[in-house]
Amino acid sequence: MASSSDMGSADFESLSSTSDVELLKRAWRNEKAAPEILPYEGDLVERAKGQIELVEENIEAYVENGIDPLVVSLYQMDLDRTQFLLRSYLRVRLLKIEKFMFHSLKSEEAESRLSEQEIVFARRCADDLAKHFEESVLRKLPENYQSVLKQSLISEVDDMVPEPHLDTFVACRSKSHFTLNLYEEGESTQTEEMYRGDLYFIRYKIVKGAIESGKMDLI
Amino acid sequence: MYGRKGYQLVKDFASGEKGQLKPFNSKLFDETIEECNQNQRLIQFLMRKMEQEGLDVQNNRNADYYGALVHHLSLIRNKRCLMAYVHNRADIVRDLGWRVGLELPPEIQEKLTTLEKEYFKNHSAAIKSYMGKAGIDLNVVSKHSFHPQRILNFLFTWWAVLYYYNTRVINYSVVFAVGLKDMVPPKDPYIKVRVVGDIDDGIVMSDKTTNFARHSMHFLKRTDAEPYIARGQMEELTG
Repeated sequence: MASSSDMGSADFESLSSTSDVELLKRAWRNEKAAPEILPYEGDLVERAKGQIELVEENIEAYVENGIDPLVVSLYQMDLDRTQFLLRSYLRVRLLKIEKFMFHSLKSEEAESRLSEQEIVFARRCADDLAKHFEESVLRKLPENYQSVLKQSLISEVDDMVPEPHLDTFVACRSKSHFTLNLYEEGESTQTEEMYRGDLYFIRYKIVKGAIESGKMDLI
Repeated sequence: MYGRKGYQLVKDFASGEKGQLKPFNSKLFDETIEECNQNQRLIQFLMRKMEQEGLDVQNNRNADYYGALVHHLSLIRNKRCLMAYVHNRADIVRDLGWRVGLELPPEIQEKLTTLEKEYFKNHSAAIKSYMGKAGIDLNVVSKHSFHPQRILNFLFTWWAVLYYYNTRVINYSVVFAVGLKDMVPPKDPYIKVRVVGDIDDGIVMSDKTTNFARHSMHFLKRTDAEPYIARGQMEELTG
């Protein structure tokens, strides 16, 4: 039976882990460490934007009312940090989109991870880059070889599209107890038990599903 | 030997410093393209020869077929080299857009072709449009915060440590330093600054009025000091 202080700290942890700032921090950390782009946390971003505006208004009100400047500067510091988190989260996503432009637009599944504005941005970027390629290189090449996505007309798949490296190793921590399938479906199913708080250094492909469902966090 | 020029082109790009551009090597580029076209002509010549001999092009494996295959492989290899060259340069151009902002200093501009400058403009417009739609400013440096003359008077410790080995490179990285506003998490709300340029008297800060005499040091709020630092009128004192 957990003691009352344990219960208290467990409560606090669960409470703080669901605050928006914590969620934003988690989303930001995951996004920074993952080699591919993760699903967009639209609701979280909207809520964070709203809260930032609210705090900005509050700070202005405090300054006018002459509240202790130390308190105001503390609020300001907190606001700066949250703003940084939000901006960095969006920036990291944009940089990943730029890196894997054509890949993000290729499949429905990849497109569903982007927000609407990101899809517009990705399409525009891809058009710009395709146009740049065409004008500097492809127009001058012989006819069968003028495609941006394929090496030549004979290629069966789009072989000139760079894809994110899902085999890179990442450091991650599990949040709850579950079993992980170490190999792809269909191959030998060697499983590993993941206990709460364990730290692992493992290929991204294997933990991809666990991260998306929230069972593991990237560090 | 087929493919050598493509290889030289890629090596030319790789031999530059990472993240920095060399002038566009149009001579080698055009020579590689010429080689591609030559390959194509030879492929067509060989295929026509096979057809004249009455052989089915797809299925007959004779010397001409393999000759055409070699030309085809050399052609796609050259295509990969050319695309890699253009693609990597475009990556760096995009990176500049994020870090430097809209105005490119002349020493960078002279290394870009017209097409690359065009691409840079289009890409900056795309970023701007995204920021407008998302309603958030992602701290990309705008035209107004960049004054090369004044900035050349500074030494920001963070980039100085990274880039301090070549005067040419210092010029580049001074420019980058301005663009790196808000790229690191904010640590302290207040920072120590020294006034370097000329600021008008009697500027009102949010919590006090201060007299910004030249070389005077102040302890200001980061948000207040940032526009002056970006304009080159103050420098941050670290350590």
